[in-house]
Amino acid sequence: MRSALPMCLYALAVASYSPALLARLSATGMSARMGLTAWLTAIASVLASIAIALQALVSAAAAGWHLLAEAFCRSVTGHACPPPMYSSALFEIPLAGAALTAALGAAILAWRYGRSVQRAQQLAHAHSAAALITGRRFPAVRGAVVLDVPQPTAYCVPGRPAAIVLTTGAIALLEPEQLTAVIAHEKAHLAGSHHLLVTLTRGLSAVLPGVPLFTRAQAEVSRLTEMLADDAAARHTGRPALVGALLALGTGAPVPSRALAAAAGDVTARVQRLLQPASPSPRARNRLALAAVTILLAAAPGLLTWLAGSLAARALPLPW
Amino acid sequence: MRGFGELESVIMHMVWDHCGPVTVRDLFDQLSQERPIAYTTVMSTMDNLHRKGWLERVKEGKAYRYTATASREEYSARLMREALAAGGDTETVLSHFVAQIGDPESDVLRTVVRRLPARRPE
Repeated sequence: MRSALPMCLYALAVASYSPALLARLSATGMSARMGLTAWLTAIASVLASIAIALQALVSAAAAGWHLLAEAFCRSVTGHACPPPMYSSALFEIPLAGAALTAALGAAILAWRYGRSVQRAQQLAHAHSAAALITGRRFPAVRGAVVLDVPQPTAYCVPGRPAAIVLTTGAIALLEPEQLTAVIAHEKAHLAGSHHLLVTLTRGLSAVLPGVPLFTRAQAEVSRLTEMLADDAAARHTGRPALVGALLALGTGAPVPSRALAAAAGDVTARVQRLLQPASPSPRARNRLALAAVTILLAAAPGLLTWLAGSLAARALPLPW
Repeated sequence: MRGFGELESVIMHMVWDHCGPVTVRDLFDQLSQERPIAYTTVMSTMDNLHRKGWLERVKEGKAYRYTATASREEYSARLMREALAAGGDTETVLSHFVAQIGDPESDVLRTVVRRLPARRPE
């Protein structure tokens, strides 16, 4: 019971104020993996603290319903809350009703979340199976198929097995090295289960709309996983081929990789960070900041619970 | 052979490449020239494809004659529509190499491409 209020306040604070900080730290994507970890840790931290608060409330209600009723009555009416008032049916039935409604609401949200994630998985598996039957095998890359479509595009979709889909339009547009970069990028998505992270965060923002952390995290997780896959592809083929592929598929016009060696300019973040990689010292500072925030977010729920518990055990007045 | 899924694909492409309806025997004769395969394997794979809606069949005498429910082009177009539908459910499950970008961003990218030094002769 003691920890319910601070945990709720903490969850509220992180859900509202962490997005601005995290977005600033992960904006450039110079440490994409740590940025992704920080966002996911923030989400886990909020969900864990809400779970701890709920658990505390439920066990308090089970252990002493009248204590909870009294506490709630006092919080509403102040000190004018004699026993006949809070132990009356008139007060207790609405309170029990509210508690049940809240529990039911939480259960429905959890169910809808599970269903949205499951539905996304089913859609993906069906698409991947259909693509693997319809497409022609792309030689030498397992799970890659070519669809006879003029529109240049490339994507991957999870499934059993997963598929990497290339169109004839994309193959015609890209140089061989650029095509290798695209395939390495998609392989990295599948190997890292990026779709799962994206689906899980997107499901949260769909089920709980209007929570700043969830709304923002959905976009950031998908942006940062793209950057992670870019990093993997760049390690595989080098940056010019990857940037060439990005520009070609982004504009629909062929871009010779060799011409990219001297390119610079104001472009979207993905191309920019590939063209102008961060120098070591800002990168190290960025990593340090992200690590500090991540550790703080990971430790806070447990730390707050312990603090509330130990203050209560020593019968010290709580600061809240 | 690398499993059942691949055989489904091979058989669908054979049906698509064939003009007119085919029997299990037709495909078995063709397939067994390329790889060791059992007649029943071809039959059960085609039965599966029928059950999943890829093939339709008409009984003629003792055998079924199979045709594809839609052409390869129709299936490809359908997949592409699904993959490119903005804001749809598939958006969360497909990872496009380049997200569908709006005109302003596309313009920026075109500017970058224009500013690239022209390819020098070797």
